[in-house]
Amino acid sequence: MAEAVRRLDEMNPLLWLVLRRVLLSFVSFLVVSVIIFTAVDILPGDTAQRALGREATAESVAILRSEMRLSDPAIVRYGRWLGDFVSGDLGTSMVSKRPVADYLVPPLRHTLLLGAIVLAVHIPLSLFLGLVCALTRDTPLDLGLSALVLVAMSVPDFVVGIFLIVVFSVELGWFPPLALIDQATSWTDMLYMLTLPILALNAAMTAYVVRQTRDSMIEVLNSDFVRVARLRGLPPLQIVLAHALPSALGPAINAIALNAAWLVGGIVVIEAVFNYPGLGRLLVEGVRFHDVPIIQAIALILSGTHIALNLAADIGTTLLNPKLRTRSS
Amino acid sequence: MSAFDFFRPTRRTVLAGAAALGGTLALGTPAVRAAGDTKTLRIAGGAADGPNSTLDPALTVGSGANQARLTLVYERLVTLDESFSPKPQLAESWSTNDVGDVWTFKLRPNVTFHDGSPFTAKDVLFTFNRILDPALGSRAVTVLAAIDPAKIRAVDDHTVEFTLRQPVVEFPLQLTHRIASIVRQGQTTEQLKTAGIGTGPFKVERFVPGEDPSIFLRHPGYWQPGKPGVDRVEVRTIPEEAARIAALSYGQVDIVLELPLVGLQRLESDANVNVDTTRSSRWFGFAAFSDTPPFDDVRVRQALKLAANREQLLRAVTGGRGVVANDLPVGPWQKFALQTEQRKYDIAAAKKLLAEAGHPNGIDVDLHTFQGTGLSELAAAYKAQAEPAGIRINIVTSPAADFWTNVWLKKPFVTTSWDATTVDDALTLSFLSNSKWNESHWYNKAYDALIAEARLTVNEEKRAEILARAQALLRDDSGTVIPFFVDTISGSRKAVKGWKRHPKLESQDFTGITIDG
Repeated sequence: MAEAVRRLDEMNPLLWLVLRRVLLSFVSFLVVSVIIFTAVDILPGDTAQRALGREATAESVAILRSEMRLSDPAIVRYGRWLGDFVSGDLGTSMVSKRPVADYLVPPLRHTLLLGAIVLAVHIPLSLFLGLVCALTRDTPLDLGLSALVLVAMSVPDFVVGIFLIVVFSVELGWFPPLALIDQATSWTDMLYMLTLPILALNAAMTAYVVRQTRDSMIEVLNSDFVRVARLRGLPPLQIVLAHALPSALGPAINAIALNAAWLVGGIVVIEAVFNYPGLGRLLVEGVRFHDVPIIQAIALILSGTHIALNLAADIGTTLLNPKLRTRSS
Repeated sequence: MSAFDFFRPTRRTVLAGAAALGGTLALGTPAVRAAGDTKTLRIAGGAADGPNSTLDPALTVGSGANQARLTLVYERLVTLDESFSPKPQLAESWSTNDVGDVWTFKLRPNVTFHDGSPFTAKDVLFTFNRILDPALGSRAVTVLAAIDPAKIRAVDDHTVEFTLRQPVVEFPLQLTHRIASIVRQGQTTEQLKTAGIGTGPFKVERFVPGEDPSIFLRHPGYWQPGKPGVDRVEVRTIPEEAARIAALSYGQVDIVLELPLVGLQRLESDANVNVDTTRSSRWFGFAAFSDTPPFDDVRVRQALKLAANREQLLRAVTGGRGVVANDLPVGPWQKFALQTEQRKYDIAAAKKLLAEAGHPNGIDVDLHTFQGTGLSELAAAYKAQAEPAGIRINIVTSPAADFWTNVWLKKPFVTTSWDATTVDDALTLSFLSNSKWNESHWYNKAYDALIAEARLTVNEEKRAEILARAQALLRDDSGTVIPFFVDTISGSRKAVKGWKRHPKLESQDFTGITIDG
């Protein structure tokens, strides 16, 4: 054991760090899976009874109970569930007897699409706003933008969503209230339908990145190397874009990655508000029908993604920042 | 630049998602809509039926969207008219013997299924044998318990005879349940779940449980000439009420099957939308265990009924969309409904009854309810009304998802709501001593006997008289307070013609709907 640790120590410290982060993430994934399993398991009432509802007969409940092997001890069911999950078997929907994976594919696709578009807007938009704030530091523009993004962040995303629906579709009639993308006749039509959800999600995410970019940009702009660059007479735009911005990006990238991790949860809520056919809606329906396998699969996918994105953020920041590359970090 | 590696998968995902979505879209609307004169009717239900939903009538669930889908695809021998009398659909006429235990149905000739095969007595036999097979697990086994599957006989290709286990004088009404939808013979349960073949006005184009929308195309061989009036129907669910309203008002859907009772002012003033009110037999009320103190004294139960200001409750909960009820579960417009003096809000009388029952200082009771459908509002309004009579109510609110499984039938005093169709259902589902859903623990032998007698009385006049006595008993003795019936509200775009919401969605007729422009 001691030998192994010593050998690991001699490895590339960066590799060791990444490895440690990956292991930690794996442990958190396990912990999360236990929480998901027990949380659903300890809900009051009999799982089979809940799935079948008000009019279920005693016989059908008994059949479902034995099908689900509900009488096995929790630890056995947990092991079976996680084992199946890791080997790609997400289980079978309790109510419809259809494989959970079949339910997940189209919504997952829709959620990834929405998430990707949101990030595609989020990244340039928030970096740009952060840059503007840094360059116009302490002017009314800076203060106004900072206040705006902070307010947008402070309001819960579903409230922003409903607010956008009320203003832009009910009052003004500019955008459709629901993202019924199956009705879209073209790509532009679809993007048009997605405008409000994209805005709502960006509202919640922008502030963090803007603040990070602004602060680190200001710090960099005050640093010696930028001063030297200025003294050498380089054009201001070149200083900002080619020298200052890359050095200031670290914290912003970390913030973006954390936002992406947040998005995994936030998108669920926004999908419900805009009736978007993604994982969030499926999750809400799963809860409604007490379809435990669906709830567990989605919860595990979402939290797994969250952990993976956090891991990516960690590693990304480390790689970008030499100061953090020591083992003590 | 290694930090940017993180984003590359995202870009790839965009492309993958794009390709995937492109595929979905190609399957969906644009191709059909591009045909130009294709008329599509877009219907939105409320509660999502999710993975639970099925096109198999035998295993049907109750959501609005699911019921709408079934009426698009299938038909029954008998359907319900708007005042809940039987109306011919796939059966042209019927008759019974003088006891009411043998029923003969003449089937409509020249009806074809979606696959072109003719509708005959064989399909009727297949349907009923299938749904009554206990192995299938259909609720039909209870709903249609009177039918003996071994004694259904095809007299000829277009005549079917049911010999019942016991007389059922209103048997045609039992066949109006959506469970009894006729399916083409030979279909497996797996087929019926997502691609059932019926005789209805539309055939299934695409149905995946839990995925919206489901798509149905006009059945070219439909038996009613000139119908249906549209080429294509999309059914989806929009669980959020506000979202459903916004979608109708913006024009993302043409018909909204279910609207809330309150908060419709804006929609009503919308020039492009009709808000449609249909009277229904759905009642809101309270159920108290008649065998549990303090409700085990009939005077306490009557005090509960006198302590309800019905007009006020109706206004508070529904904004006045409904009619006041008289502690009777049968709609006053229905055949066989007891017409008697309306019970009034009478605090003094309630107080007096409580005192006589040994509660001069009133009673303290827990009333269990849940948020979401108006029942918690009902509880709150009633609490205030009953207080002066000395009925001090403590409201206990459970999560909606838990109420019907863990509270209802278990707690002695709950809010409740029923939506029975036939008079027999309304009077028996929750009121017979041996009812599975006897939510008021009301065990009245005299009542049970009257219902049993009515069920054997073929003569309608005599039956009306017996049912009147039963209802009088129910009104005065039961532990159920029924203050009002609520209307059913739906909405449609003005361009939609021929839409009238049936109080029972399972008997909705979509064939006459057309779209202008």
